[in-house]
Amino acid sequence: MRSKRRILSQFFIVSNFSMMKIEHEYSSITWPNVLDNFALLSGQLNSLSRLLKSEKIPPLKNYVLLPLALSPDKDLDLEKLTEGRLMIFNHEVVPVYLRTKPEPEVEEKFTELTCRVGISAHDNPQSYMVYSQGKAIKTENMLVEDATVTRKQLNTLNKITSNILDIINSARDEWESEANQKSAQPQTSSMADTNSLIQAITVGKGLKQPTPRRSENSHQNNNNVNSQQQSQKAPQSATISKAPSTIKTNIKAGSANHPYQRS
Amino acid sequence: MEGSVSIHRHTAAPFHEYLLQGSVVDNSCDVLLNRLRGLCDNAENDYESFHDHELVFALRSSTAQNNHNQQVYFRVRHSLKAPNAPWHLRYVGQAEVGDKTRHTLVRTYVDVSTSDNVVTFLNEMGFRLDYEYVIKGYFFHKGRMKVTVSKIFRMLQPNNVENLEPLSLSYLVELTVVAPAGQELIQDDMKNFAEQLKPLVQLEKIDHRRITMM
Repeated sequence: MRSKRRILSQFFIVSNFSMMKIEHEYSSITWPNVLDNFALLSGQLNSLSRLLKSEKIPPLKNYVLLPLALSPDKDLDLEKLTEGRLMIFNHEVVPVYLRTKPEPEVEEKFTELTCRVGISAHDNPQSYMVYSQGKAIKTENMLVEDATVTRKQLNTLNKITSNILDIINSARDEWESEANQKSAQPQTSSMADTNSLIQAITVGKGLKQPTPRRSENSHQNNNNVNSQQQSQKAPQSATISKAPSTIKTNIKAGSANHPYQRS
Repeated sequence: MEGSVSIHRHTAAPFHEYLLQGSVVDNSCDVLLNRLRGLCDNAENDYESFHDHELVFALRSSTAQNNHNQQVYFRVRHSLKAPNAPWHLRYVGQAEVGDKTRHTLVRTYVDVSTSDNVVTFLNEMGFRLDYEYVIKGYFFHKGRMKVTVSKIFRMLQPNNVENLEPLSLSYLVELTVVAPAGQELIQDDMKNFAEQLKPLVQLEKIDHRRITMM
């Protein structure tokens, strides 16, 4: 009971809090915040309904609520508490607000109906007799008639149910195959493409021209230039002095002209 | 597109580029662009596009002809949309993967604006054109983070930036931050941002050494 009360109060606090936030801070509130609050709410609703469903908790209608004080005067606290929905706590509103079970006539009708349903489901005229003893108007004939009618209804109901079951099953199959297709479809990136693109921009794989493109002319030209350079700057840098050897190897491959080559 | 990073060029401190890479297939590119537009700064404006030509120059040492690690690569880039914009000379170091505490690749990064005769200059220095490509796409900013969604085109003829062929059916997606050395915290921001793009794009630190050996 205590845990139920705690969950209830938490639930109200959080729901009030989030409503207030949405009403007053709609300009600054962020989506993740709102979603967090909703997640909280739904979690609490879940635990609340689990609690109510559990065996240990008797149905709410077994509780009795007693009003401790009635007053015909306007109650400011109450008005504030209910946000203006309820101003006076008097004999008129109490039965409506504190009711935990239906009105006696309604309840009687309800139990009667429940009994009838229970009987027809088991199709047991004997117990039907027992249950309807209070009325004691039904004859044996009527009972038999009732039974056949019930059986007919039962058959129709079974038929309808199995039909609906079929429809639901086929719908589910469709649904699942669709979902499967969807989950299979979104192949939005491919590792192979990623690798080939990265290889291309980092080491030029697939981008290098298949045909060698440096002309012998320009190479000789370059060679001259480079040897000049070399004579000028040779002591400065080892890398530069290595350049001519690069060019020698290029001569073998040389042909065609490239725009960025010196000409 | 490189203009944004060129402000670093006068400072002497070594810059690091933090990098995450991924790709998105052409069909989903629009979805990605819309999402990026929502996530990044200036959401109210249209995203900005670029169309660049990049030339990669290598300085080879005679002893290591086929070993990429032993070569020095300089990347020259210029915009095809704005011919008057300065050219860029860029050096990027070998990307380091690091351990699991690191969320991104890290590589040294130097970027300078140059005049348009930088190619001649590099040739004089002994650099040779290794490969070139045209890169076309869109870029976004979110704070210090830069996101590029770009298509790489192979050039069918040397120096003809009109005659192109797309390299693959995907767009390359890169999330980069250029920052002074030691600012490791930015990696967390980048990781969070990358998470927001999943599952559309898987932005990951991809070991360049491993895939170039494949």
